[in-house]
Amino acid sequence: MEALIRPEFGLMFWTILCFGLLVLLLSKTAWRPLLQAVEERERAIKHDRRSAENARAEAEKIKAELEAGLAELKAGIQARMDEARLLAEKDKDLLIEEARRSAAVIVESSRREIEAQKAEAVRELRGKVAELSIMTAERILMKQLDHRANTDLASKYLAELEKERPDLKLEN
Amino acid sequence: MDLKLILEHHIVDKVWAWLALGPLRLPFSKHLLMMGITSLILLVVFPLLIRSRSTALAPFRAMLEMTVLFLRDEIVVPNLGHKGAAYTGYFSTLFFFILIMNLLGLVPYGASATGNLAVTAGLALTTFALINFSGIKEQGLIGYFAHLVPKGVPAWLYPLMFPIEVMGIFIKTFALCIRLFANMIAGHIVILVFICFIFIFGAFGTAFGFLVAPVSVGLVLFTLLLELLVAFLQAYIFVTLTAIFTGAAMHPH
Repeated sequence: MEALIRPEFGLMFWTILCFGLLVLLLSKTAWRPLLQAVEERERAIKHDRRSAENARAEAEKIKAELEAGLAELKAGIQARMDEARLLAEKDKDLLIEEARRSAAVIVESSRREIEAQKAEAVRELRGKVAELSIMTAERILMKQLDHRANTDLASKYLAELEKERPDLKLEN
Repeated sequence: MDLKLILEHHIVDKVWAWLALGPLRLPFSKHLLMMGITSLILLVVFPLLIRSRSTALAPFRAMLEMTVLFLRDEIVVPNLGHKGAAYTGYFSTLFFFILIMNLLGLVPYGASATGNLAVTAGLALTTFALINFSGIKEQGLIGYFAHLVPKGVPAWLYPLMFPIEVMGIFIKTFALCIRLFANMIAGHIVILVFICFIFIFGAFGTAFGFLVAPVSVGLVLFTLLLELLVAFLQAYIFVTLTAIFTGAAMHPH
């Protein structure tokens, strides 16, 4: 059993030789290609990640730009709409004013027309009334004319006139 | 029936032949075969798996990759600093080397090479070498030994602290060696003991043995699953502790 704890120096030599050779050979044949492949992949991943990050930053920049453009556009639209509303209000006011004015003009002209017509009508009426009254008066006068009384009156007035104006006396 | 013989048969390395190389007698043994299989897997399967583009193997490739990245990002870099990323290959090799050797011990006819004190001692020695190498490389020879004693220690304690710290390096690696060895061997011994229970109770009477067998097999299954966990855990612990010691040697503050 003591063979178990008695190191065999020959085997120790073999072990060291074996292991030393393995370290030398494997570092060339196995670990270097493996680590190279890993590093290549890591580099590729890093590169991909960087490009992805760049693309993302680019996209974010574009997005920000778009948003700024959109906001600007919105503000422009708002401003234009306000302007349009203001203009429309002014136009409306103007139209109403004009309509009111033209209405006033129409009212004025129609009033004047009415007045003129009224005046005309009054004048016509007055003429007719005058004619009618004159004719009625004529008729009344014709009916009341008394020849003898008139003659007396005429004589009387004539005498008065002769007295007043002796130069006009018929019989001298 | 001799439990000691059975244990020795299953746990102790079997040497098939010796190769004399100067003063060193190099064994060809079962554990060396297991180490060879592990090396073959690491040298052939891993590079092919990593280079393959087939979708069927993609999950395995991903597992391998995740493990290596975990080692790099959670163990090597936090302990060794960013310069330490260059050591990722070393730590990955260490992790998979230990892990596959551990796992081969759970395969039928396989054996845990990490359940051999010589193997774990060899691995601990490489860690020892790495600690000192990285520390000296990072701080210079003088700087490394000057920073061995932590800052803030009174000057009169230096003669005492310096030998303790030097011993500390050896003890750390020794503990590393024993920890892996003991953990890997313990599970095997427990499994063998549970299986031997069947025959021990069987010696009292056949019916007794059959009665104990299901319980033993259940316990063996449980221990096997536990060993599966321990195989991963000990590989992870060995690598983590190596990283911590190396990091401490590289950055003394």
